[in-house]
Amino acid sequence: MQVYLPIAEMSVDAFLLIGIGLGVGWLSGLFGVGGGFLLTPLLILIGIPAPVAVASGANQTIGASVSGLIAQWRRGNVDLRMGGVLIAGGFVGSVLGVQLFALLRRLGQVDLAVSLFYVVVLGTVGGLMVMESVRAIRRRKRSGGARRKLHEHGWAHGLPFKMRFRKSRLYISVIPPLLIGFGIGLLSAVMGVGGGFMLVPAMIYLLGMPTSVVIGTSLLQVVFVAANVTLLASVQLGTVDILLTLLLLAGGVAGAQFGAAMGTKLRGEETRALLGMLVLAVALSLLWDLVRMPTELFSSQRVF
Amino acid sequence: MRTLLLLLLGLLAARPGAAQDQPLVAALSQAQVEVTTGFTGASLMVFGSTEQPIGAGGDEIVIVARGPTRPVVIRRKVSIAGVLWVNGPSARFPEVPGYYVVAGTRPVWQLLPEPERQKNGLGLDALPLESTGARAPAFRRALLEQETASGLWVEDQTPVVIEGNRLFHVRLPLPATVPTGVYKVEVLLVRSRRIVARQPLTFRVDRVGTADRIASIADDQPLVYGMICVLGACLAGWLGSVLFRRG
Repeated sequence: MQVYLPIAEMSVDAFLLIGIGLGVGWLSGLFGVGGGFLLTPLLILIGIPAPVAVASGANQTIGASVSGLIAQWRRGNVDLRMGGVLIAGGFVGSVLGVQLFALLRRLGQVDLAVSLFYVVVLGTVGGLMVMESVRAIRRRKRSGGARRKLHEHGWAHGLPFKMRFRKSRLYISVIPPLLIGFGIGLLSAVMGVGGGFMLVPAMIYLLGMPTSVVIGTSLLQVVFVAANVTLLASVQLGTVDILLTLLLLAGGVAGAQFGAAMGTKLRGEETRALLGMLVLAVALSLLWDLVRMPTELFSSQRVF
Repeated sequence: MRTLLLLLLGLLAARPGAAQDQPLVAALSQAQVEVTTGFTGASLMVFGSTEQPIGAGGDEIVIVARGPTRPVVIRRKVSIAGVLWVNGPSARFPEVPGYYVVAGTRPVWQLLPEPERQKNGLGLDALPLESTGARAPAFRRALLEQETASGLWVEDQTPVVIEGNRLFHVRLPLPATVPTGVYKVEVLLVRSRRIVARQPLTFRVDRVGTADRIASIADDQPLVYGMICVLGACLAGWLGSVLFRRG
């Protein structure tokens, strides 16, 4: 069934979009991330213009994250204070990110920038995840699992403007979470992702937050930043296609629940290793597109 | 199909003083094409009749349709240090017709002398495409290739059909990606390699219904539209968590 997307100005098979939503939703439920990092490249692959794919991807992320956030909120796994600090950073980051995106679009380098961001960010995060989880699996096989310290005291504890985060059981400077929020906001505006797959490791390894509150808090930040990106993109760029978003969500919210049910059967380390490999695979395929000789040297862009 | 055509022509001829004293009368099957959310493309018929016989040895018909213009930037990828392929030089074409179809009873280059064809912009190689930026002819060629590949530019794909020496018709294919706006169609009567009569016609391509409402809200009130998008996504997420909640 063909559907005409009013903002993308093209018609696409509705079932293809619902199917993509379902598949990405399933994976995101399985791994507990928003799935934007898979969705945006897939949309570009089926011919949606990159600006529309990025903006609508951010919009879709809101819907995908809200249902997860509701579930986490009921269990009391959201650190509102930490979320607030991250959102403040994320807000500034996403405002700047949208400006950066508009500038890149004028320069004609959006596709390159989006691909490069993906290759670098996904390559790094994916590589780290695979390494870390392989190490964890090895360690578990060797010993019965040595207890780690609650969290390590590192450089983050020497900075000023300290604040107490009760739910996270932390007393640290607000600067690191502000910076992390800023960085994720910037990336989500350029890449059309919520940033959960970067935020979760950053909160665990850089801030030392307990795993129980990490997912809920990151979802809170993701919802707000993605909402901000959606608003800015529709005001400044006019590239949010609500029909595209809703079709993706129709499949996505269902897929996420099935994925989440299956995810509970997998072990933490194995899940992280699989997610890491998936992230790496996306990064490598995008890198290949940048490096190989293009089949079509010329590209056209309609100026809106 | 043919009955419809004859009926339409009958209506046309019934207009007072139409077909008798004019060498060429033409019309469109519809004045408006509606783009709904279910739009997958359409087609529109140009038809008409002539005073003198048309076809081999007689008069010839050329039909040209042009859509609203928009600026297009063509970029060429270049290799950086033999590793990365990035967008390099670009040419900007400020006025590119979003739709262009030319059809004739025979290919246009056979019907008209070259200067005449160039002057009237009949044929893809005769389109007046001004550009700024990179000047290499490859950019213009790339633009032609991409527009032709998208099905929005069509040259001599199907000839104008002649019925009974006096009637002619041709179908203009409108793919799903047609831009909205006013389209200009020109029907030309060619006699001994000269244009002897021309009739301009127009039709509109408009978004209607939901597709139109979405696009116009997004254009006119982007902030409201953005808020609707955010709330809509939140609602969908909430609905999903209620519908598929376990236990």
